[in-house]
This record gives sequence, C-alpha cells and structure tokens, in this order.
Amino acid sequence: MIETPAEGRQAAFARLILVFGAAALGLVLGGTILVVVFHGLVPYENVVEGLLSSEARIVLYAGLALGVAAIILGFSRYRVMPTKASREQAIAGGVLGIQAVFLGAIILLFREAGDPDRFVFHFFNVEVLRDYGIPVFAQAAGNTVILAFVGELGGIVLGLLLALLTLSKRAVVRAPARVYINFFRGTPLIWQLGIFYFGFSLGLGIRPQISVGPIDFGPAYTTAMIVFVLNTAAYAAEVFRAGIQSVERGQMEAARSLGMTYPQAMRHAIVPQAIRRVIPPLLNEFVILIKDTSLVVILGLAANEYELSTLARQGYADTFNATFFTAAAAGYLVVTLPLIRAVNAVEKRMRSGLVTVGA
Amino acid sequence: MKRRNMFLALIALVALLGSACGEEPPANGNGNGNGNGETTAPTAPTIEEGVLMVGSCLDYAPFESIEGGDEVGFDVDLAEEIADRLGLTVEWVRADFDTIFTAVAGQQFDMVAAASTITEERQGVVDFSDPYYNSRQALVAPTGSGIASTDDIGDGDRVGVLRGSTGKSWAEDVLVPQGAEIVSYPNAPDTFRDLEAGNLVAAVNDEPFSAEVIKDFPGLEIVQPIDTDEEYGFAFSKDNPELTEAVNGVLAEIIEDGTYQTIFEQYFPGVEVPPEYQPAV
Repeated sequence: MIETPAEGRQAAFARLILVFGAAALGLVLGGTILVVVFHGLVPYENVVEGLLSSEARIVLYAGLALGVAAIILGFSRYRVMPTKASREQAIAGGVLGIQAVFLGAIILLFREAGDPDRFVFHFFNVEVLRDYGIPVFAQAAGNTVILAFVGELGGIVLGLLLALLTLSKRAVVRAPARVYINFFRGTPLIWQLGIFYFGFSLGLGIRPQISVGPIDFGPAYTTAMIVFVLNTAAYAAEVFRAGIQSVERGQMEAARSLGMTYPQAMRHAIVPQAIRRVIPPLLNEFVILIKDTSLVVILGLAANEYELSTLARQGYADTFNATFFTAAAAGYLVVTLPLIRAVNAVEKRMRSGLVTVGA
Repeated sequence: MKRRNMFLALIALVALLGSACGEEPPANGNGNGNGNGETTAPTAPTIEEGVLMVGSCLDYAPFESIEGGDEVGFDVDLAEEIADRLGLTVEWVRADFDTIFTAVAGQQFDMVAAASTITEERQGVVDFSDPYYNSRQALVAPTGSGIASTDDIGDGDRVGVLRGSTGKSWAEDVLVPQGAEIVSYPNAPDTFRDLEAGNLVAAVNDEPFSAEVIKDFPGLEIVQPIDTDEEYGFAFSKDNPELTEAVNGVLAEIIEDGTYQTIFEQYFPGVEVPPEYQPAV
C-alpha cells in the first residue's frame, strides 16, 4: 500500500498525539517526582518546598495542558487515521492524556486545597527512618519472607497430604481432613495466632523455640511459623484437591489398566499432572501469605524478630511518625512485586495452548 | 503497557489517599464554629458537637477498664467529670496504646485518657493537659523466680513491655545494656499473660496497673518499684489548644473543690492524695 502525502501527514499527526499524551503523563508524574527529588528528601520541609515550588506548578500545568490537548486531538481525530497503527497511536495518546489529567488534577488539588506540610511530615518524613537504618528494615523484610516461606513450604507438604485424604472413598478418612480444613479456613488467622500462642504456652506449657545457627527464634516467632503452616495447609489442600480432580478420569483409568495400584497411579500419573496445574494458585497463596504475616503484630516479638509490620508499628510508637508505615508498604512491594510478576509469567507458560485473553 | 497501567493505578491510589487526608482539617473547623455558637455552657470545640470523644485502651485497671459493659476507672471518672463540667457527654473509643497519640493528633478523637505519661517525645506530637497523677514503673516477675531486683536481669533474659510505653523506654535505657532482650506487646495485659505463660523472665509496666494486674495473676509479684518521676496527663491534638485549655480549667476546679480527692480515694484506697492534688483549704 502506497501512502499518499495526506495520509503521511495524518500518520505523523497520530504520532504527535501519542507524544503529547506520553509527555503529559511524564511531566505530571516524573516531572513532579524529579522536582521533589531535586529539592531533597531530608529534612521533610524540602519535600514540601519541592511540591509547592513554582517549578512543580509549571510542570503540573504544562502536563495538564498537554494532557487536555492529547485528549481532544486523540479522540476527535482517531477516526480519520489512515492505518490501524496510527489509529491506535491516536487513541493511546488520548488515554494517556486522561491518565495525566486525572493524576495531575489530584496532585494539584492536594497541593492547593490539601495540607501538604502535615501530610509529608507524617508520611514521607524520611529523616525519622534514619535512626533505624537500612539493615533494620532489611532484617524485617527478611523476617517477613522467612515467615511466609516457611508457612508456604510446610503448608504445601501438609496440604497435599490433606488433599489426598479428602479424596478418599471412605467417609471416616475424609471427615477429619474436612474438619481440619473447614476449621482453619473458617476462623480468622489473627485469632489462630493468638489462641495458638497463648494456648501452647499457657495451656499446654509448650514453648516452641527454634535455633538456626546463631539465630534464635523465640516462642512467638516459632508459633507464628507453625500457625502459618497449619493455616496455609488448609488452603493448599483445597487447591490440590481441585487440581487433582481436574485431571481427566481417563488418566486414572489408564494408569490402573497398566496394573498400577491406586496409590501408584496417584503418585506417578495424577499428582504430577495436578502439581503442574496448581503452581499458579499456590504462588498466589504465597503472595497472600506474605501480607498475612503482618498479623504477628499482635504477638510479643523481640527486636531481631520484627517483621515489616511490627517494625512499622514499633517505629510509629517510638517516633509517632507514620513514615514507618510508608516504608513498610515499600518493603512489602519490594518483596511481592517480583513474585506477582513470577506468578503471571508462570501462569502464562502454563496456559500455553489455551486461549489468551489480554496480555 | 499493562505493567505501566498497574503502576499508574498505584500512584493514583496513593495520591487519592493523600488528598483525602489533606482535606480533613477544614471539615473539623466547620464543626467547631457551630459548637461555639449554640451552647451556653462553658464550651470547648470538639469533633462532634456536644460530645467528647475520648480514646483509651480500656484494658488498664485501675485507670480505665470495662466492667460489666461499662467503662470504669480513675481516668474514666475524671474524664467524665471533666466532660460533664464542659457540658459534653463522653463517647469512649477503644484504641491500642502504641498508636494512640498519632490517632489523637489526627483527630480521630478529641482526647486521650490512657494513663499516659507526659514526655518530651510525645509533646512533639500532642498537647498534654496539666498533670493529674504521679506514677512510677514496677518490675514484675513470677513468684519465687529468683528475680529480686532489676540487677538480677542478665544476659538473654526476655523482658516484656508495652509497645510505645515509658516502661519500654526505661527498659531499653537500663535493661538492654545489661544484656536483656526486650519483647514488646501491643497491649498491656498480653505482657503479663506471656509472663505467666513462661515466655518472659520479667515485665516492666506502670506500678498502679501492675499492682492491679497481679491480683488476677496469683503467680506474679511486684519485685521492685522503679522511680521514674512520671506524671500522667490527658493528651490532645495540637490543633485544638482551646480544648486543652478548657480541660485544664475544669481540672483545676475538680482538684480545688475536692472532687479529685473523692475519685482518688475510690480507686486508691489507703493511699494519700499527693499535696498538689489536694483540695484548696
């Protein structure tokens, strides 16, 4: 297809709309962040100054203007674009413009009508984090990961066992597994943590403690790990059961007809296929568990046992500044975002051969 | 594309939260204006007109606790007397101690009545009323445990404290150098429950509360009172100096006319009212 000069102009115009939209968003977000960073993050007054500076205002208004231009041009012109590609460019420019205007308006509202001074003091006061330092946060993030990892790993092993029990032909075998699963799925995790912690030590005189090399985990920490295992097992069992039941009946029949016993067929034919299918939901459970570890704030923890939420609450109690919560959120995202990516990637691979939606 | 959108959504949410928080104060300002115009009693601006919302952990007898569904205690009676004299009714809001000062600073309630010691750090975030109680800390240990004083706390001993409390600061200053490991709890009763459960060697908390608590924990005893020259005060948002002032005014009245003494003797029978809290002769 040969492009006429008029079509060429239209295509160039579409690219311009896209550039407008992208620039608008870049200015509103990146520009504002850059201005703030250039003013400095410590002390917090610098952040406020950056937000309220005339540079920030110029950047914001420029972003808003470009955004509005991209919206008007993009949505009025995309119909007349000569090719599909340029039509898409025009639409993308318009949509980016909407995002830029939306975000810009919120930031502007915050700047003009809100109370940036108070907000930044309480939520982005990086200075108060200094006394604690990176190693303390790293240790807390490490504890979050340890708690979740142990819980997930133990939960998967115990969960598979429970799932096999729930699939039994015999009701007397199924019943205890169902009771277990329903109990742990039906009561809040925070309640389980409290009751097991005090129940173990106060009621039964059991004080579970684990020492790994030089690191001692106290009773609260160890109990939390156990509860996370028990709780995750209940959810993992349901995932496994669904996974195993999703394997076609013919697989079992084929394995049995080859002379395998039921356990052999399960072990060599059914479970391996099921595991492939349950990896994405189990990884999902892991992401959820990472955040659920925050519930240990209700237990008594020593300083080296703090995970991100307990550290945040401790720091908050010491300094009365909520920046610790902001830092904890950042810590969780550092841990969970790569995992969420991994889940999506694995899911995509597992879905190969199936219909793809989106992506 | 998809990834970027997710990031954008996140930023949008953060920004949204930010603006929501930023807009709160003006709303409160309006409420204050109305409150001043209508009532005739000596009035103070509060979040909700005619109501004094008081934040408290309500698990800290004899200062504030719940008995048979009602709030009772020294702080409770004092706060209700104060509210009464200001023409307000008290609405109690349960809050964990570790975040209670920021909660009042953010005007989630008007006042904190939680046996809270006046400290310099806290004064950075909230305003305190005039002191209304003199307190100190106590070291609590299981009966016959061999812990007779703070000197017996040694290397690796786990000592329980309330998160955000003055007892915690004291333990960090004095016991940590001795090698103790500080275990912090979001509420005070859990500290003692865990001491009884054997997960701790000792606990440090306010003496009056410790004295009350060991009545319910026969296996525990106060082994040493620790003088820290602490004074309790009610805490207020720094944005509401009028309320602080009004409360100080009626608090002085309550002390002067002997009401303070009556309430004090009800909760601390046999203890003499300190001279500064005795009625004017």
